[in-house]
Amino acid sequence: MLDELAQIQSDALADIEAAPDNAALEQCRTSLLGKKAPLTAAGAGMKSVPKDQKAAVGQKLNQVRRSITTALEEKLATLRADADARAVEGIDLTLPGRTAFRGNTHPLTQITDLLVHTLRRMGFSLASGPEIETEFHCFDALNTPADHPARNEKDTFFFNSGHLLRTHTSTVQIRAMESVKTLPLRVIAPGSAFRRDEIDATHLNQFTQIEGLYVDETVTLGDLKGTLEFLLQSIFGHDTPVRFRPHFFPFTEPSFEVDVQLRIKGKQPKWIEIAGCGMVDPNVFASICEQRSDDLFHPDKVTGYAFGMGVERLAMILWSIPDIRLLIENDARFLTQFG
Amino acid sequence: MKVSLKWLNDLVDLADLSTREIDDLLTFAGIEVEGIQSVPQGVVAAIITSSEKHSNADKLSVCQVDDGSGTPKQIVCGAKNYAVNDVVPLAAPGTAFPSGFEIVERKMRGQISQGMLCSAAELGLAEESDGLLILPDTTVPGTPLSQIYPPIFDLEITPNRPDLLSHRGIARELATLTDRPLLIPKTPEIITQIATNAEITVSAPHHAPFYSARHINHVKVGPSPEWLQEKLQAVGLRPINNIVDITNYVLMETGQPLHAFDASKLNGGFMVRIATAHEKFLALDGEEYSLRPEDVVVADANGAIALGGIMGGEISGVTENTTSVILESAYFAPPVIRRTSRDLNLSSDSSYRFERGVDPQGVLPASALATQLIVDLAAGKPADAILTAGTLPILTGSVQLDEDRARSLLGIDIPAAEMHRILAGLGLTLENKSKTKSSWRIPSYRIDLQRHIDLVEEIARVHGLDKIPATTAAAFAPASPDDIAFDRLNQLRSRLSGLGFLETKTIKLLSSEEAVTTCPHTSTDDLVTVKNPLSEDHTTLRPSLIPGLLSAAERNSHQGATTLRFYETGTVFRTPESEKQLITLLAGGDSQPSTWHEARPRQLDISDLRGFLETILPVSSLTLIPSHSPSSPFVLEADITIDKKSLGLIGQIQPAFTRKIDFQAPILIAELNAESLWQLMNRADTFEELDRFPAVSRDVAMELPAVIPNGDIQDFFDTQKESLLVSARLFDVFTDPAGEKLPAHKKSLAYSLTYRDKTKTLTTSEVDDAHGRILAALKQELPVQIR
Repeated sequence: MLDELAQIQSDALADIEAAPDNAALEQCRTSLLGKKAPLTAAGAGMKSVPKDQKAAVGQKLNQVRRSITTALEEKLATLRADADARAVEGIDLTLPGRTAFRGNTHPLTQITDLLVHTLRRMGFSLASGPEIETEFHCFDALNTPADHPARNEKDTFFFNSGHLLRTHTSTVQIRAMESVKTLPLRVIAPGSAFRRDEIDATHLNQFTQIEGLYVDETVTLGDLKGTLEFLLQSIFGHDTPVRFRPHFFPFTEPSFEVDVQLRIKGKQPKWIEIAGCGMVDPNVFASICEQRSDDLFHPDKVTGYAFGMGVERLAMILWSIPDIRLLIENDARFLTQFG
Repeated sequence: MKVSLKWLNDLVDLADLSTREIDDLLTFAGIEVEGIQSVPQGVVAAIITSSEKHSNADKLSVCQVDDGSGTPKQIVCGAKNYAVNDVVPLAAPGTAFPSGFEIVERKMRGQISQGMLCSAAELGLAEESDGLLILPDTTVPGTPLSQIYPPIFDLEITPNRPDLLSHRGIARELATLTDRPLLIPKTPEIITQIATNAEITVSAPHHAPFYSARHINHVKVGPSPEWLQEKLQAVGLRPINNIVDITNYVLMETGQPLHAFDASKLNGGFMVRIATAHEKFLALDGEEYSLRPEDVVVADANGAIALGGIMGGEISGVTENTTSVILESAYFAPPVIRRTSRDLNLSSDSSYRFERGVDPQGVLPASALATQLIVDLAAGKPADAILTAGTLPILTGSVQLDEDRARSLLGIDIPAAEMHRILAGLGLTLENKSKTKSSWRIPSYRIDLQRHIDLVEEIARVHGLDKIPATTAAAFAPASPDDIAFDRLNQLRSRLSGLGFLETKTIKLLSSEEAVTTCPHTSTDDLVTVKNPLSEDHTTLRPSLIPGLLSAAERNSHQGATTLRFYETGTVFRTPESEKQLITLLAGGDSQPSTWHEARPRQLDISDLRGFLETILPVSSLTLIPSHSPSSPFVLEADITIDKKSLGLIGQIQPAFTRKIDFQAPILIAELNAESLWQLMNRADTFEELDRFPAVSRDVAMELPAVIPNGDIQDFFDTQKESLLVSARLFDVFTDPAGEKLPAHKKSLAYSLTYRDKTKTLTTSEVDDAHGRILAALKQELPVQIR
């Protein structure tokens, strides 16, 4: 009996080893462990085994069954491992991937976002105003009298209604001061402005500005300086020198132009004009008071600063873009460089 | 304005300051230095004593030069335009050019070269030049070139500072900033008598408040002396003759425009009057101008002899034959000159100053200075009296300074004494002072100083912003409606980036024809057009973002793009001057980049664009209402609605346009109203319980007439009141144009209906009952056959 079992074992292990695939192995399992299997028959023959041999034969029987089961599991694992290896055999990992299109925002949007995010960290909220404006909001309220050189049909687009396309986003200063309920007023306004210029490498008839205004009881020139230094150093690098040159704008006094020093390797450092700014002219406050019929903005009670800068110019400086028209031509080969 | 450093040096001693230091002084005084034309230090005049061909280089010569040092120098040179004995500029070793290039002694092809001979362009004296700059042969070797070509500053003077429009004005400012004495000579004592005489009448006192004229006889017109010619040439003026040069010189020196008439050409007395309508005036520039009653002229009995404050007349100008002149010095009202100059598109050094405002107290001294020069340089004999009419305006007065208010605006604790020092230095006179206030008399030339804030500005400017500490004043900032819209737009932008869309920016002005042909639902009446366009291409504000996107499509198609995915956000305009924010998408071409897996990707169709919208928008499904007559740019068009509210439109561009721009696939457009979108995004989203019981699906296939849109079927399912039905999803559309498997006028739609009960697992019979009810209703309401 023991010899018979040994023979069953060796035959079975050979069959399992020889099984070429999963199906053959499953057949082996049935033929080796199923009802008609020799081992099953041998198990049934236990009744006729003499008593003194029962323990030894029983043990052998179990040992053969275990070894067959184990061999089946091992063979199954081997077959699966082989199949898994075959499934990835010959895949060329150096082939290019399946790609999807990748989009991105416009470089002008990216600059605007950068400015807005930085200014928001400093406690400014967004404001807006119409692009078709009244002469009052664009000029009169901004202390720019009717005979001011900037105020003419040569430089400004007008409509038959007498309205105009705003020449700067400073109009939003006036809109914000007209409508606000309480102080402080701390707003920024990115938006389009228009000038009656022929389009060439350095001019468009429309450009993007960001405007800032802060009015409260004790706003100082030092606050303006601190704000713009932080803003510009956030954009150009924290150690970028920033300087304020006295200048003239009708709606601020004192007024300044702000330069940053660009340092490009191998070149002389260069001051580049970035922004205009100043303390809100008392005449602007006086006009607002008249408009509001209250004294929230009384020129003797409040002070404020305002600043503005051109987004196209910033983009051209930051990315060394030589021709402003690239920003409005929307060539995908240009736009995707900012992804 | 061009300012010569040499000229300035006559008025204030700046010899110890470098060009760079003067640049900084001017810049921080608020005077923008647009450019400096200056020869580098170290360049001297040298005479070429011999020149031989370089033995080892075809294009080079070896020159011996005398630079006045006593030691001859050898220079290797590539130029050809000189001869021996020419005097040329020599840049000695150590000379640094603005480009950073520095001259060193070195060997060139075996020959030592002890410097460089320079061209005008290399010295910054010309834009371009050919060969060496040949200096006058009288030039003494060793003379620094900066002496022959002193630095010229090109300054931009802000409109509030007309007092700076002269060498004296700039000198006065620099003297103040550096605390130096001003060396302006005393006004010559020429004015012996002021006579108001019937010879001059001013009938336009608002246009010309003050007019003066002086007869100067026996003048000898001829060339100006060298010093005068040099000064004028340095600031870019061409010398003409001594009389004209003197008037130009006094203008550049003092800022007061003058004019000299040939007395013999005048008929009768002077009238300063308003022009008559269409009055003709032949100006010195040779052009004839037609005047209007708002222009001011100087006239004699025959008509206008000068356009007041702007330009003299051709007829009355000083020539070589002139023997007697009348010298005009006047004060013209700035707004009048500005308007005339602008309207006639005629400006001059004179109008530039009058329209900004000259110093009323400088009018007569300038006349005196010019008269003295005419006496000295043209042997003129002035009349005893200067004839005047009108009165000089008084434009400046006293201004109070409140020192505490000044400090609080500046944000620094600047002592009163320092403020007073600054104001006094600028020529203001302290009239009286109390503890914290002082009163200042403003000099007549500082017409910009009228208010308290103007004094504070002067203090800030002279004190310098670099001394003011940068402070921070942050505050809590609530989100405004603009903040919320900005954030939502950016959320949408990032979703669009994820779908491969590039953001465009286009010009908002376009031609009216383009607007009407490319903007849906737009007629000429809807257009907002500017009154004064610069060109036909930019007359109209865009009523839609579609034209800009189509031009982006055109440009990229012509660049060979096989995919177009663009969007733009921004303002559009419609009559009556109303503004709206739109978000517009354009897509077409390859559905994915072409790769080795799929070299010819599927082309996008309108379902793709709808899918893109459903991906980026906060709602998962849109309702499209097809239009039966698509408007102009579209061949297919539908309104997009959500909950019956219009959100915008979607469409496919006319194939004619697609062909025109050589694009090989349909171009699809969706235009959405931003305001409606933000309202959608406003909806509070509440948490929805997760399903705990399984759903059961039943498919239904139906045959129906092809003309019935799928939307009718979807609507039917979406509006069923059957509580167990949770969704109906289209999964197959079948048509057979050949009519073999299905009649050609029919189509087959297959829907998967999902049933679920939130409270329990459904039994088969419950689902069957519900499904049966739905199908029965479907057959009843719509002409479908269930298959």
